[in-house]
Amino acid sequence: MSRIFNSMRDGVGFDLILVGAALLFLLALAGLPLVYNVLMSFQQVDMFTLGTLIRPWAGFTNYVDVVRQPEFWLVAKNTLIFVFASMAGQFVIGFSLALFFAQKFPGAATIRGLFLVSWVMPGLVVGAIWSWILAGDFGVLNTILKSLGIIQETVFWKSDPNYSIWAVVIANIWLGTAFNMLLLAVGLAAIPRDLYEAAELDGANAFQRFWTITLPMMRSTIGAVLSLGLIGTLQQFDLFPAITEGGPANTSSVAGYWSWQMSFQLYDFAKGATISVMMFLLVLFASVIYVRSTRHEVRG
Amino acid sequence: MTRPYVPWLLLALALAAFYLFPLYWMYVTSLKSASEIYFNPPTFWPIAPDTSIYPQVWFGRTMSTFLWNSVVIATGVTTITVILGTGCAYVLARYRSVWVDVGLFLILMLQVLPASVMITPLFVGFNQVGLLNYPRTAVVLAAAAKAMPFFVVLVRATFMSVPRELEEAALVDGNSRVGAFFSIVLPLARNGILVCAILTFMSAFGEFIYSKSIIQEKSLQPASVGLSGFLGPNSSDWNSIMAYSAIYVTPILALFVLLQRRIVSGLTSGALK
Repeated sequence: MSRIFNSMRDGVGFDLILVGAALLFLLALAGLPLVYNVLMSFQQVDMFTLGTLIRPWAGFTNYVDVVRQPEFWLVAKNTLIFVFASMAGQFVIGFSLALFFAQKFPGAATIRGLFLVSWVMPGLVVGAIWSWILAGDFGVLNTILKSLGIIQETVFWKSDPNYSIWAVVIANIWLGTAFNMLLLAVGLAAIPRDLYEAAELDGANAFQRFWTITLPMMRSTIGAVLSLGLIGTLQQFDLFPAITEGGPANTSSVAGYWSWQMSFQLYDFAKGATISVMMFLLVLFASVIYVRSTRHEVRG
Repeated sequence: MTRPYVPWLLLALALAAFYLFPLYWMYVTSLKSASEIYFNPPTFWPIAPDTSIYPQVWFGRTMSTFLWNSVVIATGVTTITVILGTGCAYVLARYRSVWVDVGLFLILMLQVLPASVMITPLFVGFNQVGLLNYPRTAVVLAAAAKAMPFFVVLVRATFMSVPRELEEAALVDGNSRVGAFFSIVLPLARNGILVCAILTFMSAFGEFIYSKSIIQEKSLQPASVGLSGFLGPNSSDWNSIMAYSAIYVTPILALFVLLQRRIVSGLTSGALK
Protein backbone atom coordinates (compact mmCIF):
# COMPACT_ATOMS: atom_id res chain seq x y z
CA MET A 1 0.00 0.00 0.00
CA SER A 2 2.71 2.43 0.99
CA ARG A 3 4.63 1.50 -2.15
CA ILE A 4 1.69 2.57 -4.27
CA PHE A 5 1.45 5.80 -2.33
CA ASN A 6 5.16 6.44 -2.74
CA SER A 7 4.95 5.86 -6.45
CA MET A 8 2.11 8.35 -6.63
CA ARG A 9 4.20 10.91 -4.80
CA ASP A 10 7.58 10.23 -6.29
CA GLY A 11 7.43 7.94 -9.27
CA VAL A 12 5.68 6.89 -12.42
CA GLY A 13 2.41 6.79 -10.51
CA PHE A 14 2.44 10.56 -10.40
CA ASP A 15 2.59 10.78 -14.19
CA LEU A 16 -0.07 8.14 -14.59
CA ILE A 17 -2.46 10.02 -12.32
CA LEU A 18 -1.92 13.31 -14.11
CA VAL A 19 -2.40 11.93 -17.59
CA GLY A 20 -5.00 9.38 -16.53
CA ALA A 21 -7.38 11.89 -14.98
CA ALA A 22 -7.46 13.99 -18.13
CA LEU A 23 -7.77 11.02 -20.45
CA LEU A 24 -10.57 9.49 -18.39
CA PHE A 25 -12.45 12.77 -18.48
CA LEU A 26 -12.00 13.06 -22.25
CA LEU A 27 -12.92 9.43 -22.73
CA ALA A 28 -16.15 9.88 -20.79
CA LEU A 29 -17.21 13.13 -22.43
CA ALA A 30 -15.81 12.82 -25.94
CA GLY A 31 -14.93 9.19 -26.63
CA LEU A 32 -18.08 7.58 -25.28
CA PRO A 33 -20.47 10.05 -26.95
CA LEU A 34 -18.72 9.39 -30.24
CA VAL A 35 -19.30 5.65 -29.95
CA TYR A 36 -22.82 6.25 -28.70
CA ASN A 37 -23.46 8.45 -31.73
CA VAL A 38 -22.55 5.63 -34.09
CA LEU A 39 -24.76 3.26 -32.09
CA MET A 40 -27.72 5.66 -32.27
CA SER A 41 -27.35 6.03 -36.01
CA PHE A 42 -28.20 2.32 -36.29
CA GLN A 43 -31.17 2.47 -33.92
CA GLN A 44 -34.73 3.72 -33.97
CA VAL A 45 -34.75 6.66 -31.61
CA ASP A 46 -37.96 8.41 -30.68
CA MET A 47 -39.46 10.10 -27.65
CA PHE A 48 -40.39 6.74 -26.09
CA THR A 49 -36.98 5.11 -26.44
CA LEU A 50 -34.96 8.24 -25.72
CA GLY A 51 -34.28 7.19 -22.13
CA THR A 52 -33.13 3.65 -22.77
CA LEU A 53 -29.96 2.22 -24.21
CA ILE A 54 -31.50 -0.81 -25.90
CA ARG A 55 -33.62 0.40 -28.78
CA PRO A 56 -35.02 -1.36 -31.83
CA TRP A 57 -32.24 -2.03 -34.33
CA ALA A 58 -32.66 -0.09 -37.53
CA GLY A 59 -29.74 -1.23 -39.62
CA PHE A 60 -28.97 1.24 -42.36
CA THR A 61 -32.52 2.63 -42.44
CA ASN A 62 -31.44 5.94 -40.97
CA TYR A 63 -28.68 6.34 -43.52
CA VAL A 64 -31.03 5.55 -46.38
CA ASP A 65 -33.61 7.97 -44.99
CA VAL A 66 -31.08 10.78 -44.62
CA VAL A 67 -29.82 10.38 -48.17
CA ARG A 68 -33.42 10.30 -49.44
CA GLN A 69 -34.29 13.56 -47.71
CA PRO A 70 -35.08 16.08 -50.46
CA GLU A 71 -32.55 18.54 -49.03
CA PHE A 72 -29.68 16.05 -48.69
CA TRP A 73 -27.83 16.96 -51.90
CA LEU A 74 -28.49 20.66 -51.37
CA VAL A 75 -26.94 20.48 -47.90
CA ALA A 76 -24.01 18.44 -49.21
CA LYS A 77 -23.40 21.01 -51.93
CA ASN A 78 -23.66 23.86 -49.42
CA THR A 79 -21.22 22.15 -47.08
CA LEU A 80 -18.68 21.85 -49.90
CA ILE A 81 -19.18 25.47 -50.96
CA PHE A 82 -18.95 26.67 -47.39
CA VAL A 83 -15.83 24.67 -46.61
CA PHE A 84 -13.84 25.38 -49.75
CA ALA A 85 -14.83 29.01 -50.26
CA SER A 86 -14.14 29.80 -46.60
CA MET A 87 -10.81 28.02 -46.63
CA ALA A 88 -9.72 29.66 -49.87
CA GLY A 89 -10.76 33.12 -48.71
CA GLN A 90 -9.20 32.79 -45.27
CA PHE A 91 -6.00 31.39 -46.67
CA VAL A 92 -5.47 33.86 -49.51
CA ILE A 93 -6.31 36.93 -47.44
CA GLY A 94 -4.46 35.57 -44.43
CA PHE A 95 -1.36 34.78 -46.45
CA SER A 96 -1.34 38.20 -48.12
CA LEU A 97 -1.63 39.90 -44.74
CA ALA A 98 1.08 37.69 -43.26
CA LEU A 99 3.43 38.57 -46.13
CA PHE A 100 2.62 42.25 -45.73
CA PHE A 101 3.26 42.25 -41.98
CA ALA A 102 6.46 40.26 -42.43
CA GLN A 103 7.98 43.48 -43.78
CA LYS A 104 9.89 45.00 -40.91
CA PHE A 105 8.37 48.29 -39.90
CA PRO A 106 7.72 49.68 -36.44
CA GLY A 107 4.43 48.64 -34.95
CA ALA A 108 3.93 45.73 -37.36
CA ALA A 109 3.57 43.14 -34.60
CA THR A 110 1.15 45.24 -32.57
CA ILE A 111 -1.10 46.12 -35.49
CA ARG A 112 -1.06 42.51 -36.63
CA GLY A 113 -2.11 41.43 -33.16
CA LEU A 114 -5.19 43.65 -33.35
CA PHE A 115 -6.53 41.51 -36.18
CA LEU A 116 -6.95 38.64 -33.74
CA VAL A 117 -9.91 40.29 -32.01
CA SER A 118 -12.10 38.60 -34.59
CA TRP A 119 -10.90 35.30 -33.24
CA VAL A 120 -11.61 35.91 -29.54
CA MET A 121 -15.13 37.30 -30.10
CA PRO A 122 -18.10 35.02 -29.44
CA GLY A 123 -19.20 33.50 -32.75
CA LEU A 124 -22.78 34.52 -32.20
CA VAL A 125 -21.82 38.19 -31.83
CA VAL A 126 -19.76 38.02 -35.03
CA GLY A 127 -22.81 36.53 -36.68
CA ALA A 128 -25.06 39.29 -35.32
CA ILE A 129 -22.78 42.04 -36.61
CA TRP A 130 -22.44 40.50 -40.05
CA SER A 131 -26.13 39.81 -40.19
CA TRP A 132 -26.67 43.55 -39.82
CA ILE A 133 -23.91 44.50 -42.26
CA LEU A 134 -25.34 42.10 -44.85
CA ALA A 135 -28.97 43.22 -44.41
CA GLY A 136 -30.73 43.83 -47.72
CA ASP A 137 -32.23 47.30 -47.77
CA PHE A 138 -30.37 48.92 -44.91
CA GLY A 139 -27.14 46.95 -44.83
CA VAL A 140 -23.93 48.90 -45.08
CA LEU A 141 -22.23 46.37 -47.37
CA ASN A 142 -24.74 47.02 -50.14
CA THR A 143 -24.23 50.78 -49.74
CA ILE A 144 -20.46 50.45 -49.99
CA LEU A 145 -20.58 48.10 -52.97
CA LYS A 146 -23.04 50.37 -54.76
CA SER A 147 -20.98 53.48 -54.20
CA LEU A 148 -17.93 51.64 -55.54
CA GLY A 149 -19.97 50.68 -58.61
CA ILE A 150 -19.50 46.94 -58.06
CA ILE A 151 -23.22 46.23 -57.89
CA GLN A 152 -26.17 48.18 -59.28
CA GLU A 153 -29.09 46.38 -57.65
CA THR A 154 -29.54 45.74 -53.97
CA VAL A 155 -28.36 42.22 -53.12
CA PHE A 156 -30.49 40.44 -50.56
CA TRP A 157 -27.60 38.47 -49.12
CA LYS A 158 -29.57 36.62 -46.48
CA SER A 159 -32.89 35.99 -48.21
CA ASP A 160 -31.85 35.40 -51.83
CA PRO A 161 -31.36 31.63 -52.27
CA ASN A 162 -28.48 32.31 -54.67
CA TYR A 163 -26.50 34.27 -52.12
CA SER A 164 -27.55 33.03 -48.67
CA ILE A 165 -24.68 30.54 -48.29
CA TRP A 166 -22.25 33.24 -49.41
CA ALA A 167 -23.48 35.53 -46.64
CA VAL A 168 -22.27 32.98 -44.10
CA VAL A 169 -19.07 32.39 -46.09
CA ILE A 170 -18.22 36.11 -45.98
CA ALA A 171 -18.69 36.23 -42.22
CA ASN A 172 -16.67 33.05 -41.77
CA ILE A 173 -13.80 34.37 -43.89
CA TRP A 174 -13.67 37.45 -41.68
CA LEU A 175 -13.71 35.27 -38.60
CA GLY A 176 -10.92 32.92 -39.66
CA THR A 177 -8.56 35.17 -41.58
CA ALA A 178 -6.75 36.45 -38.50
CA PHE A 179 -5.90 33.00 -37.19
CA ASN A 180 -4.64 31.90 -40.60
CA MET A 181 -2.53 35.04 -40.80
CA LEU A 182 -0.99 34.45 -37.38
CA LEU A 183 -0.02 30.85 -38.07
CA LEU A 184 1.38 31.73 -41.49
CA ALA A 185 3.34 34.60 -39.97
CA VAL A 186 4.99 32.14 -37.59
CA GLY A 187 6.00 30.01 -40.55
CA LEU A 188 7.34 33.03 -42.43
CA ALA A 189 9.42 34.15 -39.45
CA ALA A 190 11.10 30.76 -39.33
CA ILE A 191 12.59 31.05 -42.84
CA PRO A 192 16.28 31.99 -42.54
CA ARG A 193 16.92 35.53 -43.76
CA ASP A 194 20.17 34.67 -45.54
CA LEU A 195 18.29 32.58 -48.09
CA TYR A 196 16.61 35.74 -49.32
CA GLU A 197 19.85 37.70 -49.25
CA ALA A 198 21.60 35.04 -51.28
CA ALA A 199 18.76 34.98 -53.80
CA GLU A 200 18.81 38.74 -54.04
CA LEU A 201 22.55 38.71 -54.75
CA ASP A 202 21.90 36.16 -57.48
CA GLY A 203 19.44 38.60 -59.01
CA ALA A 204 16.12 36.87 -58.19
CA ASN A 205 13.17 39.25 -58.25
CA ALA A 206 10.49 39.39 -55.58
CA PHE A 207 8.18 36.97 -57.39
CA GLN A 208 10.97 34.46 -57.96
CA ARG A 209 12.00 34.70 -54.32
CA PHE A 210 8.43 34.00 -53.25
CA TRP A 211 8.04 31.09 -55.67
CA THR A 212 11.39 29.39 -55.05
CA ILE A 213 12.03 30.16 -51.37
CA THR A 214 8.89 31.16 -49.48
CA LEU A 215 6.48 28.59 -50.87
CA PRO A 216 8.79 25.54 -50.63
CA MET A 217 9.97 26.52 -47.14
CA MET A 218 6.39 27.00 -45.98
CA ARG A 219 5.12 23.69 -47.28
CA SER A 220 4.47 22.00 -43.94
CA THR A 221 3.06 25.21 -42.42
CA ILE A 222 0.69 25.63 -45.34
CA GLY A 223 -0.42 22.03 -45.01
CA ALA A 224 -1.14 22.48 -41.32
CA VAL A 225 -2.91 25.82 -41.83
CA LEU A 226 -5.12 24.46 -44.60
CA SER A 227 -6.14 21.44 -42.58
CA LEU A 228 -6.73 23.55 -39.48
CA GLY A 229 -8.85 25.82 -41.69
CA LEU A 230 -10.83 22.81 -42.90
CA ILE A 231 -11.34 21.64 -39.32
CA GLY A 232 -12.25 25.12 -38.09
CA THR A 233 -14.75 25.58 -40.90
CA LEU A 234 -16.40 22.24 -40.21
CA GLN A 235 -16.66 23.25 -36.56
CA GLN A 236 -18.39 26.52 -37.40
CA PHE A 237 -21.90 26.57 -36.08
CA ASP A 238 -22.71 29.90 -34.40
CA LEU A 239 -22.81 31.92 -37.62
CA PHE A 240 -25.72 29.91 -39.01
CA PRO A 241 -28.33 30.58 -36.33
CA ALA A 242 -27.19 34.20 -36.22
CA ILE A 243 -27.31 35.00 -39.93
CA THR A 244 -29.68 32.80 -41.92
CA GLU A 245 -30.87 29.92 -39.72
CA GLY A 246 -30.04 27.71 -42.68
CA GLY A 247 -32.71 29.35 -44.81
CA PRO A 248 -34.31 30.29 -47.05
CA ALA A 249 -35.46 26.72 -47.76
CA ASN A 250 -32.18 25.16 -46.59
CA THR A 251 -30.16 27.01 -49.22
CA SER A 252 -27.60 28.01 -46.59
CA SER A 253 -27.72 24.93 -44.37
CA VAL A 254 -24.59 22.83 -43.90
CA ALA A 255 -24.16 19.37 -42.40
CA GLY A 256 -23.45 20.53 -38.84
CA TYR A 257 -26.41 22.86 -38.68
CA TRP A 258 -28.72 20.39 -40.41
CA SER A 259 -27.78 17.71 -37.89
CA TRP A 260 -28.54 20.07 -35.02
CA GLN A 261 -31.90 21.02 -36.57
CA MET A 262 -32.82 17.34 -36.92
CA SER A 263 -32.08 16.66 -33.26
CA PHE A 264 -33.19 19.82 -31.55
CA GLN A 265 -35.89 21.31 -33.73
CA LEU A 266 -37.48 18.19 -35.22
CA TYR A 267 -36.47 15.93 -32.29
CA ASP A 268 -35.39 13.23 -34.74
CA PHE A 269 -32.29 12.22 -32.80
CA ALA A 270 -31.57 9.18 -34.96
CA LYS A 271 -31.29 11.27 -38.12
CA GLY A 272 -29.32 13.92 -36.25
CA ALA A 273 -26.88 11.24 -35.09
CA THR A 274 -26.68 9.78 -38.59
CA ILE A 275 -25.81 13.11 -40.18
CA SER A 276 -23.20 13.77 -37.55
CA VAL A 277 -21.61 10.36 -38.14
CA MET A 278 -21.35 11.28 -41.81
CA MET A 279 -19.82 14.58 -40.88
CA PHE A 280 -17.43 12.90 -38.49
CA LEU A 281 -16.08 10.83 -41.37
CA LEU A 282 -15.35 14.08 -43.20
CA VAL A 283 -13.59 15.50 -40.14
CA LEU A 284 -11.61 12.30 -39.77
CA PHE A 285 -10.35 12.75 -43.31
CA ALA A 286 -9.31 16.33 -42.53
CA SER A 287 -7.56 15.42 -39.33
CA VAL A 288 -5.54 12.67 -40.99
CA ILE A 289 -4.11 15.37 -43.26
CA TYR A 290 -3.59 17.62 -40.25
CA VAL A 291 -1.76 15.00 -38.22
CA ARG A 292 0.37 14.02 -41.20
CA SER A 293 1.42 17.60 -41.82
CA THR A 294 2.30 18.28 -38.19
CA ARG A 295 3.65 14.84 -37.37
CA HIS A 296 7.33 15.66 -37.38
CA GLU A 297 6.69 18.80 -35.36
CA VAL A 298 4.63 16.98 -32.77
CA ARG A 299 7.57 14.76 -31.95
CA GLY A 300 9.63 17.94 -31.72
CA MET B 1 19.53 49.38 -45.96
CA THR B 2 16.75 51.41 -44.38
CA ARG B 3 13.43 51.78 -46.06
CA PRO B 4 11.00 54.62 -45.60
CA TYR B 5 8.52 53.02 -43.24
CA VAL B 6 5.83 55.67 -43.00
CA PRO B 7 3.87 54.48 -46.05
CA TRP B 8 4.03 50.91 -44.74
CA LEU B 9 2.73 52.00 -41.38
CA LEU B 10 -0.10 53.99 -42.96
CA LEU B 11 -1.05 51.07 -45.17
CA ALA B 12 -0.98 48.76 -42.15
CA LEU B 13 -3.26 51.06 -40.21
CA ALA B 14 -5.62 51.33 -43.17
CA LEU B 15 -5.79 47.54 -43.45
CA ALA B 16 -6.47 47.19 -39.74
CA ALA B 17 -9.18 49.86 -39.90
CA PHE B 18 -10.79 48.07 -42.86
CA TYR B 19 -10.63 44.74 -41.11
CA LEU B 20 -12.03 46.05 -37.85
CA PHE B 21 -14.86 47.96 -39.53
CA PRO B 22 -17.50 45.45 -38.31
CA LEU B 23 -16.57 46.30 -34.73
CA TYR B 24 -16.86 50.00 -35.44
CA TRP B 25 -20.21 49.38 -37.09
CA MET B 26 -21.46 47.55 -33.99
CA TYR B 27 -20.64 50.46 -31.70
CA VAL B 28 -21.92 53.12 -34.11
CA THR B 29 -25.21 51.32 -34.72
CA SER B 30 -25.81 50.96 -31.00
CA LEU B 31 -25.60 54.76 -30.67
CA LYS B 32 -28.17 55.46 -33.38
CA SER B 33 -31.85 56.07 -32.82
CA ALA B 34 -34.44 53.50 -33.86
CA SER B 35 -35.28 55.49 -37.01
CA GLU B 36 -31.73 56.41 -37.95
CA ILE B 37 -30.68 52.79 -38.34
CA TYR B 38 -33.05 52.61 -41.33
CA PHE B 39 -31.61 55.62 -43.16
CA ASN B 40 -30.72 54.80 -46.72
CA PRO B 41 -27.83 55.38 -47.36
CA PRO B 42 -26.76 54.70 -43.77
CA THR B 43 -25.00 57.40 -41.78
CA PHE B 44 -21.41 56.54 -40.90
CA TRP B 45 -21.55 58.64 -37.77
CA PRO B 46 -24.74 58.97 -35.68
CA ILE B 47 -26.53 62.31 -36.05
CA ALA B 48 -27.24 62.51 -32.33
CA PRO B 49 -25.29 59.82 -30.45
CA ASP B 50 -27.60 58.40 -27.83
CA THR B 51 -26.53 55.96 -25.15
CA SER B 52 -29.97 55.51 -23.58
CA ILE B 53 -30.34 52.18 -25.39
CA TYR B 54 -27.68 50.66 -23.16
CA PRO B 55 -29.54 50.74 -19.81
CA GLN B 56 -32.72 49.87 -21.69
CA VAL B 57 -31.17 46.70 -23.13
CA TRP B 58 -29.34 45.89 -19.90
CA PHE B 59 -32.51 45.87 -17.83
CA GLY B 60 -35.05 44.96 -20.52
CA ARG B 61 -33.10 41.86 -21.53
CA THR B 62 -32.04 40.90 -17.97
CA MET B 63 -28.47 40.98 -19.12
CA SER B 64 -27.04 40.78 -15.61
CA THR B 65 -28.51 37.28 -15.22
CA PHE B 66 -27.31 36.18 -18.66
CA LEU B 67 -23.80 37.54 -18.15
CA TRP B 68 -23.59 36.02 -14.69
CA ASN B 69 -24.45 32.62 -16.15
CA SER B 70 -21.79 33.12 -18.82
CA VAL B 71 -19.25 33.88 -16.11
CA VAL B 72 -20.30 30.82 -14.09
CA ILE B 73 -20.05 28.53 -17.11
CA ALA B 74 -16.75 30.01 -18.31
CA THR B 75 -15.25 29.77 -14.81
CA GLY B 76 -16.30 26.14 -14.48
CA VAL B 77 -14.92 25.25 -17.89
CA THR B 78 -11.64 27.04 -17.21
CA THR B 79 -11.21 25.42 -13.79
CA ILE B 80 -11.74 21.89 -15.05
CA THR B 81 -9.62 22.47 -18.13
CA VAL B 82 -6.70 23.98 -16.23
CA ILE B 83 -6.65 21.40 -13.43
CA LEU B 84 -6.93 18.35 -15.66
CA GLY B 85 -5.20 19.75 -18.73
CA THR B 86 -2.06 21.10 -17.07
CA GLY B 87 -1.03 17.77 -15.58
CA CYS B 88 -1.75 15.97 -18.83
CA ALA B 89 0.27 18.50 -20.83
CA TYR B 90 3.18 18.19 -18.39
CA VAL B 91 3.40 14.43 -18.73
CA LEU B 92 3.07 14.59 -22.50
CA ALA B 93 5.89 17.14 -22.62
CA ARG B 94 8.18 15.24 -20.27
CA TYR B 95 8.40 11.91 -22.02
CA ARG B 96 9.01 10.76 -25.53
CA SER B 97 7.67 7.34 -26.30
CA VAL B 98 5.19 5.57 -28.49
CA TRP B 99 2.57 5.99 -25.78
CA VAL B 100 3.03 9.74 -25.69
CA ASP B 101 2.61 9.81 -29.45
CA VAL B 102 -0.57 7.75 -29.14
CA GLY B 103 -1.88 10.06 -26.42
CA LEU B 104 -1.10 13.16 -28.46
CA PHE B 105 -2.72 11.64 -31.51
CA LEU B 106 -5.91 10.90 -29.55
CA ILE B 107 -5.95 14.43 -28.19
CA LEU B 108 -5.45 15.93 -31.63
CA MET B 109 -8.33 13.82 -32.88
CA LEU B 110 -10.56 15.07 -30.09
CA GLN B 111 -9.56 18.63 -30.88
CA VAL B 112 -11.13 18.34 -34.30
CA LEU B 113 -14.54 17.01 -33.29
CA PRO B 114 -17.15 19.65 -34.12
CA ALA B 115 -19.52 20.56 -31.32
CA SER B 116 -22.42 19.99 -33.69
CA VAL B 117 -21.33 16.35 -34.03
CA MET B 118 -21.03 15.88 -30.28
CA ILE B 119 -24.19 17.59 -29.11
CA THR B 120 -26.70 14.93 -30.17
CA PRO B 121 -25.06 12.00 -28.31
CA LEU B 122 -24.13 14.25 -25.37
CA PHE B 123 -27.71 15.44 -24.99
CA VAL B 124 -29.19 11.95 -25.16
CA GLY B 125 -26.50 10.60 -22.83
CA PHE B 126 -26.91 13.41 -20.30
CA ASN B 127 -30.63 12.80 -20.42
CA GLN B 128 -30.10 9.14 -19.50
CA VAL B 129 -27.78 9.80 -16.56
CA GLY B 130 -30.00 12.62 -15.29
CA LEU B 131 -27.51 15.42 -15.83
CA LEU B 132 -30.09 17.49 -17.71
CA ASN B 133 -31.53 18.40 -14.32
CA TYR B 134 -28.31 20.31 -13.70
CA PRO B 135 -28.08 22.01 -17.07
CA ARG B 136 -25.24 24.42 -16.30
CA THR B 137 -23.09 21.60 -14.92
CA ALA B 138 -23.84 19.56 -18.02
CA VAL B 139 -22.75 22.45 -20.27
CA VAL B 140 -19.59 22.97 -18.21
CA LEU B 141 -18.63 19.30 -18.54
CA ALA B 142 -19.33 19.20 -22.27
CA ALA B 143 -17.55 22.48 -23.00
CA ALA B 144 -14.54 21.54 -20.86
CA ALA B 145 -14.10 18.36 -22.88
CA LYS B 146 -14.24 20.52 -26.00
CA ALA B 147 -11.71 23.06 -24.71
CA MET B 148 -9.20 20.69 -23.15
CA PRO B 149 -7.41 19.29 -26.23
CA PHE B 150 -6.49 22.76 -27.49
CA PHE B 151 -5.34 23.74 -24.00
CA VAL B 152 -3.19 20.62 -23.67
CA VAL B 153 -1.51 21.19 -27.04
CA LEU B 154 -0.66 24.81 -26.18
CA VAL B 155 0.45 24.21 -22.58
CA ARG B 156 2.54 21.24 -23.62
CA ALA B 157 4.59 23.63 -25.75
CA THR B 158 5.10 25.81 -22.67
CA PHE B 159 6.33 22.87 -20.61
CA MET B 160 8.72 21.87 -23.39
CA SER B 161 10.45 25.22 -22.97
CA VAL B 162 11.05 24.65 -19.23
CA PRO B 163 14.61 23.26 -18.94
CA ARG B 164 14.61 19.64 -17.79
CA GLU B 165 17.86 20.27 -15.85
CA LEU B 166 16.08 22.48 -13.32
CA GLU B 167 13.62 19.76 -12.44
CA GLU B 168 16.38 17.16 -12.30
CA ALA B 169 18.42 19.38 -10.00
CA ALA B 170 15.46 19.64 -7.65
CA LEU B 171 15.08 15.85 -7.65
CA VAL B 172 18.78 15.41 -6.89
CA ASP B 173 18.40 17.86 -4.01
CA GLY B 174 15.87 15.54 -2.46
CA ASN B 175 12.58 16.91 -3.75
CA SER B 176 9.87 14.40 -4.54
CA ARG B 177 8.28 14.41 -7.98
CA VAL B 178 5.25 16.13 -6.53
CA GLY B 179 7.41 18.73 -4.82
CA ALA B 180 9.49 19.40 -7.93
CA PHE B 181 6.36 19.73 -10.03
CA PHE B 182 4.69 22.24 -7.75
CA SER B 183 7.70 24.28 -6.66
CA ILE B 184 9.85 24.28 -9.83
CA VAL B 185 8.00 23.32 -12.99
CA LEU B 186 4.65 24.96 -12.39
CA PRO B 187 6.03 28.39 -11.39
CA LEU B 188 8.27 28.42 -14.46
CA ALA B 189 5.37 27.61 -16.77
CA ARG B 190 2.95 29.91 -14.98
CA ASN B 191 2.74 32.60 -17.65
CA GLY B 192 2.04 30.20 -20.46
CA ILE B 193 -0.62 28.42 -18.44
CA LEU B 194 -2.21 31.73 -17.52
CA VAL B 195 -2.46 32.86 -21.14
CA CYS B 196 -4.01 29.56 -22.19
CA ALA B 197 -6.41 29.73 -19.26
CA ILE B 198 -7.51 33.19 -20.38
CA LEU B 199 -8.02 31.95 -23.94
CA THR B 200 -10.09 29.07 -22.60
CA PHE B 201 -12.14 31.46 -20.51
CA MET B 202 -12.78 33.75 -23.49
CA SER B 203 -13.98 30.99 -25.75
CA ALA B 204 -16.15 29.46 -23.01
CA PHE B 205 -17.60 32.91 -22.34
CA GLY B 206 -18.96 32.89 -25.90
CA GLU B 207 -20.05 29.24 -25.89
CA PHE B 208 -23.36 28.83 -27.67
CA ILE B 209 -24.37 25.48 -29.12
CA TYR B 210 -24.20 23.36 -25.94
CA SER B 211 -25.99 25.98 -23.84
CA LYS B 212 -28.64 26.52 -26.49
CA SER B 213 -29.38 22.81 -26.74
CA ILE B 214 -29.10 21.84 -23.06
CA ILE B 215 -30.30 24.79 -20.98
CA GLN B 216 -34.03 25.31 -21.35
CA GLU B 217 -34.65 27.45 -18.28
CA LYS B 218 -34.21 31.12 -19.10
CA SER B 219 -32.74 32.12 -15.75
CA LEU B 220 -29.84 29.70 -16.26
CA GLN B 221 -28.95 30.61 -19.85
CA PRO B 222 -25.72 32.41 -20.75
CA ALA B 223 -25.48 35.66 -22.72
CA SER B 224 -25.02 33.95 -26.07
CA VAL B 225 -28.37 32.18 -25.77
CA GLY B 226 -29.90 35.43 -24.56
CA LEU B 227 -28.69 37.13 -27.72
CA SER B 228 -30.02 34.38 -29.95
CA GLY B 229 -33.44 34.97 -28.40
CA PHE B 230 -33.93 38.13 -30.43
CA LEU B 231 -31.60 37.48 -33.32
CA GLY B 232 -32.58 35.85 -36.57
CA PRO B 233 -32.96 36.43 -40.28
CA ASN B 234 -35.94 38.70 -39.65
CA SER B 235 -34.56 40.78 -36.78
CA SER B 236 -35.42 44.44 -36.87
CA ASP B 237 -34.33 46.20 -33.67
CA TRP B 238 -30.73 46.30 -34.73
CA ASN B 239 -29.66 49.07 -32.40
CA SER B 240 -30.59 47.01 -29.35
CA ILE B 241 -28.98 43.89 -30.81
CA MET B 242 -25.80 45.87 -31.38
CA ALA B 243 -25.96 47.39 -27.90
CA TYR B 244 -26.39 43.91 -26.43
CA SER B 245 -23.43 42.67 -28.49
CA ALA B 246 -21.34 45.66 -27.43
CA ILE B 247 -21.99 45.05 -23.74
CA TYR B 248 -21.22 41.37 -24.26
CA VAL B 249 -17.92 41.71 -26.13
CA THR B 250 -16.40 44.88 -24.70
CA PRO B 251 -14.96 43.13 -21.61
CA ILE B 252 -13.44 40.42 -23.84
CA LEU B 253 -12.02 43.00 -26.22
CA ALA B 254 -10.54 45.03 -23.36
CA LEU B 255 -8.93 41.93 -21.88
CA PHE B 256 -7.57 40.98 -25.27
CA VAL B 257 -6.08 44.38 -26.03
CA LEU B 258 -4.45 44.47 -22.57
CA LEU B 259 -2.90 41.04 -22.95
CA GLN B 260 -2.47 41.05 -26.71
CA ARG B 261 1.29 40.60 -26.78
CA ARG B 262 1.24 37.66 -24.41
CA ILE B 263 -1.72 35.97 -26.03
CA VAL B 264 -0.15 36.20 -29.46
CA SER B 265 3.20 34.87 -28.29
CA GLY B 266 1.51 32.08 -26.32
CA LEU B 267 -0.46 31.04 -29.37
CA THR B 268 2.43 31.17 -31.77
CA SER B 269 4.67 29.06 -29.56
CA GLY B 270 2.17 26.26 -29.28
CA ALA B 271 -0.23 26.19 -32.14
CA LEU B 272 2.27 25.42 -34.84
CA LYS B 273 5.35 24.52 -32.87
